[in-house]
Amino acid sequence: MSSITLSTVFRRRSDVRYRRIEGEAVVLRQSAAEVLVLNEVGASVLDLADGEHSVREWIDALSGEYDSDRETLARDVLTFAGELAEAGMLEVVAEKKP
Amino acid sequence: MSFGDGFLRFPDLFPGRRGGEPWGDRSLVLEVPGGPYLLAGLAAAQEEAARRKLVGLCREVEADAAVAIHLFRAPPADFLDRDVRGWEYTLDREYSSGAVLLAGLRLMGRIDWAPTLTGGLWTSWAGGEEWASVFENFFRVLTAYRLLEQGGALLHSAGVTDGASAWMLLGPSGAGKTTSSRMCLEKGALVLSDDLNAVLLPSGGPRLARLPFTGDLGDRSGGPASYPLAAVLRLVKGEEDRLRPLSTAAALASLVAAAPFVNHDPWRRETLLATLERLARSVPTYELEFTLGGRLWDILPPLPT
Repeated sequence: MSSITLSTVFRRRSDVRYRRIEGEAVVLRQSAAEVLVLNEVGASVLDLADGEHSVREWIDALSGEYDSDRETLARDVLTFAGELAEAGMLEVVAEKKP
Repeated sequence: MSFGDGFLRFPDLFPGRRGGEPWGDRSLVLEVPGGPYLLAGLAAAQEEAARRKLVGLCREVEADAAVAIHLFRAPPADFLDRDVRGWEYTLDREYSSGAVLLAGLRLMGRIDWAPTLTGGLWTSWAGGEEWASVFENFFRVLTAYRLLEQGGALLHSAGVTDGASAWMLLGPSGAGKTTSSRMCLEKGALVLSDDLNAVLLPSGGPRLARLPFTGDLGDRSGGPASYPLAAVLRLVKGEEDRLRPLSTAAALASLVAAAPFVNHDPWRRETLLATLERLARSVPTYELEFTLGGRLWDILPPLPT
């Protein structure tokens, strides 16, 4: 997988379905019948992975919702995006320069 | 590999609709959760094998059943011979909006939703234990869909009861469903099944219902019965015997993972998620850490008042 940067644009894979429940998300990847539970940041990353907005834009959107500083938030979001891509939940569609 | 390739000599000739030559003119009705189910088109030897396998659950045909299953002949040459030694047998499945197709050892089956849920089963077995096994493999899948249609679920689990309320113990293979069932049995509990159980969600609260699908332990012959469900517990072998509450999301994830057949079906997954979320919200859910020889049975939470 190519490296993930703030400019990367992700989208959810077509076989991924999820439900937000009390801050967490239950994610079902149909093709593998895998079920994951994500915390609030992970759930937000899934919400934002629409194939149009870059990771940088996700962080802009989330920075008003979380207390953590932007650098910490960026690190967490990049980590989650990488793990979700590794798990086959997200796929890279483009690089979007600021 | 395409659908049916591992089991069928001519996958392209898979029945496009429910029809064919019935094995015979015998019928019986099965009193199983989600039913009654009408099993029609049986030969005498098949009826006899079904009655032997499903003791106490068969009755004569009297009125319309909720779900009809039609049995048809298929020549042995339609099926591939497989060496099944050391092989975990799983039915091949193909999903669409209106039907689920199944292929297996001497088995072709389809579940159709138009106009109502109906099953069609083709096999070359004329009777005996082989035929009964083919039918049970098909019937497990049909029951899963029927329960889902009724707002319930079939769950890979151990079900235990003290006769007044019941507990459902979840976990993948190796998590300890049979071990924990045996521990409960030794304390005087009744084990409904250590493999597959039905959850029903009537307005009075969730109930755990007996199915005739057991593993090493379970009561196949007691007739239909259900008990108020006191809790859903995710099994973990550990160093202590203790309960930890699960979040609704964690409980839902465990329930979805434990819902065989339908959790792979892209056409029914939203219904499954909604049903199991309702269950997770309506019954206490825990992680149950247990030790071998410990006091698992003694710490099961009582039915909420």
